[in-house]
Amino acid sequence: MRNPTRDGQIARGLSRRSFLSHSAVTTVGGVLTETALAVAGPARAQTSEPGLVGPDAAPIALTVNGVERTVQAEPRSTLAEVLRGPLGLTGTKVPCDRGACSACTVWLDGEPVDSCMMLAVDVGGRAVTTIEGLAKGDDLHPVQAAFIEHDALQCGFCTPGMVMSCAALLQRNPHPTADDVKGAIAGHICRCGAYPHIVEAVLAAAQTAKA
Amino acid sequence: MAGPTRTETFPAGIASVGLTTVTREIPADEPPALPPNGELKVIGKPAPRQNGRAKVTGAIRYTFDITLPGMLHAAVLRSAQPRAEVQAIDVSAAERHPGVRAVIVLAQPGGPAASLRYIGQPVAAAAATSPEAAREALGLIRVDYKPLPFVTDMDAARKPGAALVFDAASAPGASPSAFPAPATGALEGNVRGPTATRRGDPDAGFAQAEVVVEGEYSTQVQTHCCMEPHGIVADWTAEGLTVHISTQFTAGVRHELADVFGLPLSRVRVVVDGMGGGFGSKSQLGDYGRIAVRLSRQARAPVRLVLSREEEQISVGNRAGTWQHLRVGARKDGSLTAISLQSYGTAGVTVGGGVGNSAEGLYTCPNFAGEQSDVFIDAGPASAMRGPGNTQGAFAMEQAIDELAERLAIDPVVLRDRIDPSAVRREERRIGAAKIGWSRRRAPGADKGPVKRGLGMAQSLWGANVQINSACEVRVLRDGSVEVLSSVQDIGTGVTTVLAQVVAEVFGLQPAEITVRIGDTDFPSGPPSYGSRTTASITPPARTAAWRVLQRLLAQAAPALNANPEELVATGGRIQVRTDPSRSMAFREAAAHLRTDGISETAGRSDDYGGFKRVTGDAAAAREDLGGVQFAEVRVDTETGVIRVERVVAVHDCGRPINPRQLESQVQGGVLMGVSYALYENRLLDPHTGWMVNPNLEQYKLVGPRETPDIEVAFLEFYQGNSATDAYGVAEPANIATAPAIANAVYNAIGVRLRALPMTPAVVLAALGKIPQRS
Amino acid sequence: MNRFAWTSPRTVSEAAAAASVTVADAIARPPAGAKAIVKAGGIDLLDLMKEDLLAPDTLVNLREIPGLNVVAEDAGGLRIGPMVTLAALGSHALVRQRYPALADALGQSASPQIRNVATVGGNLLQRPRCWYFRSLAHHCTRKGGDHCFALSGQNQYHAIFDHFPCAIVHPSTMATPLVALGASVELTDAAGAVRRPLLEDFFVSPSKDPHRENDLRPQEILTAVNLPALPAGTRMAHLKQGEKDSFDWPLADVAVVLRRGRDGRCTAASVVLGAAAPTPHRAKAAEAALLGKRIDETVARAAASAALDGAQPLSMNAYKLPLFEALTRRAILAAVA
Repeated sequence: MRNPTRDGQIARGLSRRSFLSHSAVTTVGGVLTETALAVAGPARAQTSEPGLVGPDAAPIALTVNGVERTVQAEPRSTLAEVLRGPLGLTGTKVPCDRGACSACTVWLDGEPVDSCMMLAVDVGGRAVTTIEGLAKGDDLHPVQAAFIEHDALQCGFCTPGMVMSCAALLQRNPHPTADDVKGAIAGHICRCGAYPHIVEAVLAAAQTAKA
Repeated sequence: MAGPTRTETFPAGIASVGLTTVTREIPADEPPALPPNGELKVIGKPAPRQNGRAKVTGAIRYTFDITLPGMLHAAVLRSAQPRAEVQAIDVSAAERHPGVRAVIVLAQPGGPAASLRYIGQPVAAAAATSPEAAREALGLIRVDYKPLPFVTDMDAARKPGAALVFDAASAPGASPSAFPAPATGALEGNVRGPTATRRGDPDAGFAQAEVVVEGEYSTQVQTHCCMEPHGIVADWTAEGLTVHISTQFTAGVRHELADVFGLPLSRVRVVVDGMGGGFGSKSQLGDYGRIAVRLSRQARAPVRLVLSREEEQISVGNRAGTWQHLRVGARKDGSLTAISLQSYGTAGVTVGGGVGNSAEGLYTCPNFAGEQSDVFIDAGPASAMRGPGNTQGAFAMEQAIDELAERLAIDPVVLRDRIDPSAVRREERRIGAAKIGWSRRRAPGADKGPVKRGLGMAQSLWGANVQINSACEVRVLRDGSVEVLSSVQDIGTGVTTVLAQVVAEVFGLQPAEITVRIGDTDFPSGPPSYGSRTTASITPPARTAAWRVLQRLLAQAAPALNANPEELVATGGRIQVRTDPSRSMAFREAAAHLRTDGISETAGRSDDYGGFKRVTGDAAAAREDLGGVQFAEVRVDTETGVIRVERVVAVHDCGRPINPRQLESQVQGGVLMGVSYALYENRLLDPHTGWMVNPNLEQYKLVGPRETPDIEVAFLEFYQGNSATDAYGVAEPANIATAPAIANAVYNAIGVRLRALPMTPAVVLAALGKIPQRS
Repeated sequence: MNRFAWTSPRTVSEAAAAASVTVADAIARPPAGAKAIVKAGGIDLLDLMKEDLLAPDTLVNLREIPGLNVVAEDAGGLRIGPMVTLAALGSHALVRQRYPALADALGQSASPQIRNVATVGGNLLQRPRCWYFRSLAHHCTRKGGDHCFALSGQNQYHAIFDHFPCAIVHPSTMATPLVALGASVELTDAAGAVRRPLLEDFFVSPSKDPHRENDLRPQEILTAVNLPALPAGTRMAHLKQGEKDSFDWPLADVAVVLRRGRDGRCTAASVVLGAAAPTPHRAKAAEAALLGKRIDETVARAAASAALDGAQPLSMNAYKLPLFEALTRRAILAAVA
């Protein structure tokens, strides 16, 4: 079996990624040389065609937690980046940045989505709700209160997204079963293992809401 | 014991069995014996998490969320080669990038770090005005490598002629502290060791055995997958260094920073508030931490470095993969005559591949021979991970005991009653067996249809650890508010709330009335949050400091009640005369009598009143180990190979339980990490390129809500009169017994023993002989 | 992620005219000059771009084109717009009623968050999840290299059929029942010309071209998925087995659609295996084994065994044989239950 590393099979001709140094490996006298010059430099602003936004930062209007906000952002900025950066809403967390853990869940028009896998420019007129916008002033959402009461969290890093998914579930299904709750959070990862208390908390919150 | 002492009589024993007392000589300035939980107001009750509101609203700030004025963003260029020598590196183009403020070279040609030994090893780093600019800068760095033969498989690394990861001069020796690994001894090829342990005469013991069980077991590499990635914001100024870091040990990181950068401790401050999980991987400063500080020093600006998920998976630690050969000999009555263990484990480019002391220490056996070795491979370094060593060791040992029980036709619980010297685990077995319905357990493979159910159990062994270097300050202010201060950090286990409960109990207040300010080395130096030692280390000083403050408060308030201080008690939010509750005042009112704006006491952790088993530097181990017994019920689909864990009963001990709800959370978490280890998680390296193929949270599979079994948690109250709180930890035992309990249940379901992790459908179907052999 | 520009055309022709290159071509045989790529939900695109596998100059956003997110009844069948989300389609009353196997597959796809954004068109056109394909470090056959790392590497999740010269499995779970149901896709080019291949024929096997999973052409937009009307008495089932029931890709999934005559004998059968091959794998021998038979446990067992005719497992995925056999048998029996 030939060794693909040794004969330069790996990453030949691919050069865009920068944080791992496997760009553009070429064999030069038996020595692999990294060259990643041209492609990784800062992109130049293009002459914009009509209807074209970017690639430079441009104003993007967003309705976040009921307030219209305009940020300057490049089209490549994700909703999570814009929320956490220019808008300062750091309650939304980004553990995986690939839609695999759902911790970055926010609502678009009331539906939970991964804000790390949504471009800010793609949000359009849809209303964004983040964890910061869930409580009504000092009054916690019933799911938030139940999370505290049932100790449905440990480190708390997955909690904002988890709360958003559970609150959305109660919005569309006020009387969920335990399986419904598990289904609603089936895309979430909680490494501390709070799932049992989360399910308990959401079922209890549904009871509270009924009362 | 230095200093004046007095004697105190403490509750002793297991509450559900029956309590007695024990009399201890204790330091004179420590509080009186704390009664059993049943007689207390706050301790032993499920107080809600103090930072719960901040966590459910997203308000709590993690290192991940910290931004400082003028902050730069760092990125690290990492090796794409499993093994290579850096021959030249040119960062000049990166330095010319308009956004770049600092570039450092880590793998300096000709230096020791120029030898790259794993994919992901840092080569260089840059700090720039935006994350994008920092990454662009990395793309401008030109590195000449000489690729070298490499080895990423432990079995291949052990073979003669394997590529050598280290030579004798460069190979790591002894393991880092708090990491129960052998890793001493000679280096031969890629193998360090073995570290040998011997007791009695193992050969004679096996000769006496009437039954011997023997097996080879293997465990995979597991990664920590903290939801908050490793991250740091380092701020180097002329006045000193302030570091925000997602850490399990603020005080330890401060020491490391002072050592590495030649600063006095007084000029180094380490801070963490919200902390998104560590599980052992955030115990130290780490290379990423050093990189950020160097960049900050060079750029004279705050530098943020937060690792990507891929960097998390490949470069900041994992649980070592292991292979074990285990033999256990016994007489027909079950008494063990000899145990022998040979193990190889790989912690990648470091040491720590040991399998702990489950085989050596869990059961009474006069004869034992252990040989544990580390194997170096070209893969990212391991680090401690929740029950390091013993989690791997228990997977083998607890299956061997299960197998032995079957061979002897003795029920596994009954066999353990005969050979396990721990009274704590005996009671845990009794409780757990009743809760799971152990009497329902049938012969292996008893179900007729394709879906088969089974019951299994396993036990854990873990030291009851204490950090002696642990201090806590308690203040009462003139308005009656109370502060608790320590550098100890809350990594999600809930020590904030536990401290509030302990102090509230002293003052007769409610936990919500206590302000707990921790996670900052400007406060007295607290313990690490690893090795299941936080509660055991910090709650006794907290109670002691609070008690001392209370004595001063009572002395200053006594005249207002026309009483002697000794006549007064703090209870129900009031200070009152013990024998005449009508003479009382509100706590707040008493505080108003303070001569100064506040009074404060700081206490340190004294030795366990009953003495320690062992003291190594700042770390000590209590005389009694921690136990923990888990029972599992599984369902195995023998046609698809899918295992589902339906139910787990986890019975644990932690001395005095302080917050039962948080304890339940933590044990559920330990069980789930164990389920995940047993069935799903696996760091997969490509055999030819050495790359991890699943460096994410998608193909690196973690247990999810739908695979979560019904978990019932029970706790013993176990009193020993060992400290002002008599409390110990629980995080690691909760994880150790789960995988072997599941494996034993799977055996009970299908009658085939699975000795390798993870137990995937592919493994199950192969074990059942359902995979057709290819021609 | 690289920098790019963003455009939101208002018509399909504008979008098609703007879409200069397919994702497959952009990765395996990138043309010189600017690359404009179509974006539907954007989930897979963002994934590829974050891994630096794809660096378009422009994203052509389909979201602003009216009418693409509609499910319409069409001669007893359904016409599904490409921008309909997986969540919307999976909860659509007619889908649940008429095509329960499809509803099952949709409900088991990805996570709720992703189903709320990912679209029908994007799901069918998404790139494979093969970890070598997804790794910039591995210049594999599908990315334009000449080496399939899976063939001798970590191949536990890879194909057991048709895996030369590339061993991916098709990533769409929804495609498994769609092929079994006889769905077709509607493809519209910039001039408005339309072609409507069967979905089964739209997919491309690696022996024909290892660089792409389907026959989408540059300057062409997938404008609809058409589900045919089903004769009365059509029965169906879909089963997916992942390692996990929470968010996970299938180790195997099977869709079965069949009809029986008055005498109870099977008159039509379609058996499709997902996560088995680079395209949804039509198990024709299994279908043949069902035709003309009264379906019982024995017949189902024989058909399930036949479903694996021609399978050639790789070094680490032979477990898929018994797994597919079990799922196929259960799906057949579930369909007639």
